[in-house]
Amino acid sequence: MFRIRVTDAMLLRDMITAISTLLDEATFDISTGGIKLRAMDPSRVAMVDFEWPKKIFDEYVCSETMKLCLNISELLKLLKRARREESVELSLEEKTNRLQITIKGKYLRTFNMPTLEPIEEEVPIPKVTFNAKAEITTEGLRQAIEDVSLVSDHVRIEIDDEKITMRATGDLMGATIELKKGDVAFLGVETKEVSIANFSLSYLVEIIKAAAATSEIATMEISTDMPIRLDFKQQQEGKLSFYLAPRIDVE
Amino acid sequence: MLNRNSLVAIKNPTIKEAAEVIKGALSKRKGIVLIGNCWVDYQGRASSKLDPGERIVIIKKDGSVLVHRPTGYEPVNWQPPGSLFKTSVIEEILGIRSIRRKPSESVQIFFDHIYLLSILNLIDQGEFFLHASEAEMQKAILLKPSIIEHGFKPITYEKKVEPGFVDVYGTDKNGKFVVIEIKRKTAGREAALQLAKYVKAIKVIVNREVRGILVAPRMAKGVQKLLTTLKLEYKSLDPRQCVEILDKSTTKKISDFLQLDNKI
Repeated sequence: MFRIRVTDAMLLRDMITAISTLLDEATFDISTGGIKLRAMDPSRVAMVDFEWPKKIFDEYVCSETMKLCLNISELLKLLKRARREESVELSLEEKTNRLQITIKGKYLRTFNMPTLEPIEEEVPIPKVTFNAKAEITTEGLRQAIEDVSLVSDHVRIEIDDEKITMRATGDLMGATIELKKGDVAFLGVETKEVSIANFSLSYLVEIIKAAAATSEIATMEISTDMPIRLDFKQQQEGKLSFYLAPRIDVE
Repeated sequence: MLNRNSLVAIKNPTIKEAAEVIKGALSKRKGIVLIGNCWVDYQGRASSKLDPGERIVIIKKDGSVLVHRPTGYEPVNWQPPGSLFKTSVIEEILGIRSIRRKPSESVQIFFDHIYLLSILNLIDQGEFFLHASEAEMQKAILLKPSIIEHGFKPITYEKKVEPGFVDVYGTDKNGKFVVIEIKRKTAGREAALQLAKYVKAIKVIVNREVRGILVAPRMAKGVQKLLTTLKLEYKSLDPRQCVEILDKSTTKKISDFLQLDNKI
């Protein structure tokens, strides 16, 4: 048996939106303790690592461990119909193996959708030792990434003892964004060594834009030419992290 | 291979049988191939009607629909990814309706006989590499002239001369003019003759020694001989190498970092 309920539909909607930036289909690990998801996008460039303990939900009923595979874009289509202050309940109809989505607000809506064959792949998290870590406001991060995306499709991120520098160069324009000690958006930095890596902006923009709706504070971790880890601090003990592989200059 | 069923095939199913299997496959988001006698109604920005005939219908797991006739490479009817489906059986006729909401379009396919029904469970994570076009090869030469030869300096490209346009035009390390003709595939006699015309036309203008270089991944039989006769040169250039030059940076995969420990 599996049934969950949140009184604020936006909580669920924003989280599913964040997951949908990478995945079209997602296999959730459901246990008595909560819901987990760790998966790579189809092109295997990025990974989402998500965890919601049961206490985030207003109601959480799970009788046994199970895997639940859903088409995320279709689920999102239905969740987008829900408004703030409306409650959403998801429950698994065991006989038909369909997911029932009940939205309660000014009126009652019940949708149902099929569950898919779960993907059994267990994905480990990337083995990376991060040498630089910075904490910033999610809004500051979102703005900075939008700034650099005006001039190029990729960005060079550098973290040193006092600041994060994002650089982008296009054929026509260039951009340098600095977030440093003393800036409102900058919350702190920890570095073992100065680290620099390049990333595709198409992924970063989508991930950060969607994750910004779920979180106020973001932690960015990098090492030279290694993947970036972006952790978006969730309320209570939830977790939402993304990994993105770097671009490497071959010349 | 993995221990899984990539494909289920049912020969000559009854309409009822087929309807049940298709319904299940659609809700599980599996691919479907249907071969049989069918007719198609399309309503949307335009409308069309396809009379009965034996065809191949493909429904892909993303909701794309293709109706193929026995000949031609293009489908006669189709729907893009994300379509919604509704199946029905009325008097031994299977109806599959695929609906697109924006713009509002619907393709209805009716089968009275099905010869083969196949349910697909295909995994495809391979990447698609597009080899460079002639324009991209040209761009790569301009970006990195040393792929032609050491000391080559491009002056201009698409230079208009009497018979047409020269692909790339420049000077070599000795100051001689160089005319380059690019071919993306095997260079034939025409390419050599065309290059000869350009060289001749440029010679008239500059009144100086002009070298002509044919750039292609390979040459057709006998072209080398022709080039020698015409006092032209050949430089082998792989379009794939050009793609690499254009795409200097490549995005790694996060899966590359799952095993190894902090090493590139």
